[in-house]
Amino acid sequence: MELAWLLPAICISAFGAIILFGRSLPAQGAFLAVGAIVAAFGLFWPIMNDLVNSGPGHFSRVWFEAGDVTITLGVTVDQLTVVMLGLVTAVAMAVQVYSLGYMRGDSRFGWYFALQSFFAAAMLGLVLVDNLLVFYVTWELVGLGSYLLIGFWYERRPAAEAAKKAFITTRFGDVALLAGILVLFKATGTFEMREIFSMIDAGELNPTTLNLSAVLIFIGAAGKSAQFPFHVWLPDAMEGPTPVSALIHAATMVAAGVYLVARMAPLFVASPGTLDLIVFVGLTTAFIGAAMAMVQNDIKKILAYSTISQLGFMMLAMGSLGFTAGIFHLLTHAFFKAALFLGAGSIIHSLHERQDIREMGGLRRRMPFTYFTMLYAGAALVGLFPLSGFFSKDDILSVVLDERGAVWFTAAMIAVGMTALYVGRLIFVVFFGEHKGEAASRAKESPATMWLPMLALAVPAAGLGLLALPFTDDYQGIGTFLVFAPIGAHAYDLKVVVFATSVAVSMAATVWAWHLFYRGGYGATFVREYFPALSRALENKLYIDTLYQWVVDRVVLAFSGLVAQFDRKVINETGVDGSGRATVLSGLLLRYHETGLLSNYVLVIAVSTIIIVLIVITKT
Amino acid sequence: MVPATAAGAILLIPGSRPDIIRLTAALFSIVALVFSVYTFVAYDHGEGGYQFQRQWQWVESLGISVHLGVDGISVPMVLLTGIVMMSGVLISWSMKDRVKEYFVLLMALVTGVYGTFVSLDLFFLFFFYELAVLPMYLLIAVWGSTRKEYGALKLVMYLMAGSILVWVALIAVYVEANLGTFNLLALQEVGFAQDFQRIYFPLFMIGFGVLAGLWPFHTWSPDGHVAAPTAVSMLHAGVLMKLGAYGIIRVGITLFPEGAMDWQIPLIALGTINVVYGAMAAMAQRDLKYIVGYSSVSHMGLVLIGLATLDRVGMSGAVLQMFSHGIMTALFFALVGVIYDRTHTRDIMVFQGLSKRMGLTAVFFAVAGLTSLGLPGLSGFVAEIMVIIGAFRTYPVVGVLAIFGAALTAVYILRLLARVFFGPLDERWAHLTDATRLEAFSMGGLVVMLVLVGVYPSPFTKIINSGVAPLISRIADVT
Repeated sequence: MELAWLLPAICISAFGAIILFGRSLPAQGAFLAVGAIVAAFGLFWPIMNDLVNSGPGHFSRVWFEAGDVTITLGVTVDQLTVVMLGLVTAVAMAVQVYSLGYMRGDSRFGWYFALQSFFAAAMLGLVLVDNLLVFYVTWELVGLGSYLLIGFWYERRPAAEAAKKAFITTRFGDVALLAGILVLFKATGTFEMREIFSMIDAGELNPTTLNLSAVLIFIGAAGKSAQFPFHVWLPDAMEGPTPVSALIHAATMVAAGVYLVARMAPLFVASPGTLDLIVFVGLTTAFIGAAMAMVQNDIKKILAYSTISQLGFMMLAMGSLGFTAGIFHLLTHAFFKAALFLGAGSIIHSLHERQDIREMGGLRRRMPFTYFTMLYAGAALVGLFPLSGFFSKDDILSVVLDERGAVWFTAAMIAVGMTALYVGRLIFVVFFGEHKGEAASRAKESPATMWLPMLALAVPAAGLGLLALPFTDDYQGIGTFLVFAPIGAHAYDLKVVVFATSVAVSMAATVWAWHLFYRGGYGATFVREYFPALSRALENKLYIDTLYQWVVDRVVLAFSGLVAQFDRKVINETGVDGSGRATVLSGLLLRYHETGLLSNYVLVIAVSTIIIVLIVITKT
Repeated sequence: MVPATAAGAILLIPGSRPDIIRLTAALFSIVALVFSVYTFVAYDHGEGGYQFQRQWQWVESLGISVHLGVDGISVPMVLLTGIVMMSGVLISWSMKDRVKEYFVLLMALVTGVYGTFVSLDLFFLFFFYELAVLPMYLLIAVWGSTRKEYGALKLVMYLMAGSILVWVALIAVYVEANLGTFNLLALQEVGFAQDFQRIYFPLFMIGFGVLAGLWPFHTWSPDGHVAAPTAVSMLHAGVLMKLGAYGIIRVGITLFPEGAMDWQIPLIALGTINVVYGAMAAMAQRDLKYIVGYSSVSHMGLVLIGLATLDRVGMSGAVLQMFSHGIMTALFFALVGVIYDRTHTRDIMVFQGLSKRMGLTAVFFAVAGLTSLGLPGLSGFVAEIMVIIGAFRTYPVVGVLAIFGAALTAVYILRLLARVFFGPLDERWAHLTDATRLEAFSMGGLVVMLVLVGVYPSPFTKIINSGVAPLISRIADVT
């Protein structure tokens, strides 16, 4: 337990060491970063062991005293934390090893690994801290890591723009998050999560405070987790190096919003209205993401929209009180989506930076390990039995059915079907059929530093679902391990209805995708043929980006231009220069009282000085 | 005490050769910095109150004495002055024009600043306050650039107008108290009548507020910055603007706690306008110095909000924000100076991809920018969060607007970074060189301070707290 704070500490030290000494070290110090994350992964096991044996633990120290408010740096290790720690260290480790191969030859190799360490430290801190203000600190630092890594190739204009867009979009969510935290602070007088939760349990907070803070905090979570209408930054974030997309924009940071909702479960349970909002936003996001994924041709964009869609599913679970289900899906998704991204990176690498799936095709034989990884991870994403995605997704579907009823369940099921379609399209177009381009026919498998981590992720991507089931006397499935106090234990059970429909829908959609895309040209056209208007709208990202751009250009910038003009014209020229001119004018009138001769002035000064001195002397 | 050292520097400097002058200036800056650091370290925050007091009678009949001493509010300011001065002197190393006069005036300015921060006698506080302002005129008018006469004249006219208000109020205090002394420690025990306080507080608020960039009396600030040479901009935005806020807290709120209560809403409202208005105006600018200048207006708004909360956390935050913003903005202006030296332009639209050639400059600029937008781990966050907590406890709406202002800051700062430093390198700038060792060193110190305060703010908050706590109890007494 006492070891827990070491995880981020090791990683941040690696960051510092690489920044300071990286240039004089072999491989620009990359091994420090990898060593740090391996050490962190190693430390994760004793921490988990400790938790299982002696239960959740907590300790804290004072960070600083702000007047009469004390801010503490505290660490809590409970089941939720441990799940996240395992996830973050494992995926980060795989991604960093993979990056050794992927980023080789880059001129800022060391800087890349320094940033990876920085991000890992911030992310580990985020899941450990138990003080809302410090949580906000780590939340922002994670965002900084993302900003710097998206903009890693900053000489490329799109990368610089995407980094900016990501930071600013999430930043507006963060405004709401901080406001929500401060609303809670105003009501409770503390930033400590445990104290706040106990006050909520005791019913000491009024409904207005609860609802307001819950909505505000959810907006913050929605910004980070790319929920509609904040999702626009995530597809653009694909400008970053692909391993970064795998780690930050699929497995960890984007899931932080979902984690936040789970962490703040007592608050959200106390605010049913917010839960309704979350369900609505989550389902909308799941739909929009899946729909857009179907019309993309860029392999990374397909995966990015898929991530948006899956994050929507997680939020849907949260809003249906399925906190365990949502976190379970977060866990499995992290592995299979990271594996998919690393696979995509392997293809991009071998095709010399080509990302358009219409130039791929037939890669199955040329890149067997990549094919294997993406096939299994993709099937997990579809939710085919018995891969990991099946268990977590079914868990979500059954809580939706229980809590929200058949209508929401059906809607979610349609989104599941759409998932199978776009994943099927991706796999079949890329790996089957003919080579559709010069580069594809000369593709070859990536080096072992890349395919080993890919396979290492593919194994949990396939098998992690088994965590749902009881396999020892001590471990009765994830539903009893990962318990959220306000809900209580919730054993995983396979409902026949859910099982049957979900298997039927996924299989049917996969078969349909096979029919559509296997040998089927570029496979991008089916939506366009059947629904031309919808397809156009989807390809234009439903005009949401356009709308935002319009608001920024025409409203925000115009308004700021107005303010600047106002400052120059009204305040400065009328108010300041105007009064200046008035003064000059009166000065012109008064100047006849002044002679302008230096001697006269000296005389006046001398006389006044004498008078003052006389006064002083007579007084004493 | 410290200012005496700086004053000594001025007397000694009139030498013959520029390199000796520079060296002398640097030497005395180091001495001043060492003294500042000593004050910071040796100040006992457990005990609090005014420490290191020295007093010499000057004009006894009028109760004027040179009375120096520091408390938890002035200690960080003294440290700030030492750091910014050191950095400013180093960054002016390559100054070629009238070196002697330049450094003499710079030292005079710094003497004024130190004097204001450590004076406990209102007469001398005002005297030093004026001493700090006057050299600005010459420094800008002689060594400045873009529309320098206009900028210099405007700046001085403004500050003079503010000073008149302050002076009137000071005389009124002197007469009303009828103690025959300008000693702040004596005057603060008087307990002025509420009506008196209500009438004269706004004179202090606006008079000092002008120097702090209080809206709508802020326009001298961006124009002044644009016109001023690098080191002067650094001192000006880094330290001089803090004098205004310091005046409000040290003189205004200390003497007139009830007046401050009465004028709380106008001040907090103006501060909020500062924050949002400054950020909006900065967003529309193309000149680097105008951007930083308006961003100063925006950030000083947070100081004003913090002061106006009259809340312990909020006021402590305001003082810390003064420190943090001072360092940050000095760094900004130093960087703009470095870029301007090499490119002879400050228009962000003509830059592209500078980080390729000026890596270190880009990193430093990013650190300053991230501090400005309130990124945790850097000093700006700690200060701003304290101000915002204070605002939330008094007027939550103001708190929300202040957070929103920080988000707007992110927009223009990141736009600037992306515009100037990222993207493909423009051919025109292929010949640029990165910051020299000396420049890097002088700015590196500022960067270290930003990170230090951001990561480990405890020593600062403790000292500031010991200075703010007595004020808060005085305010609590009258309510």
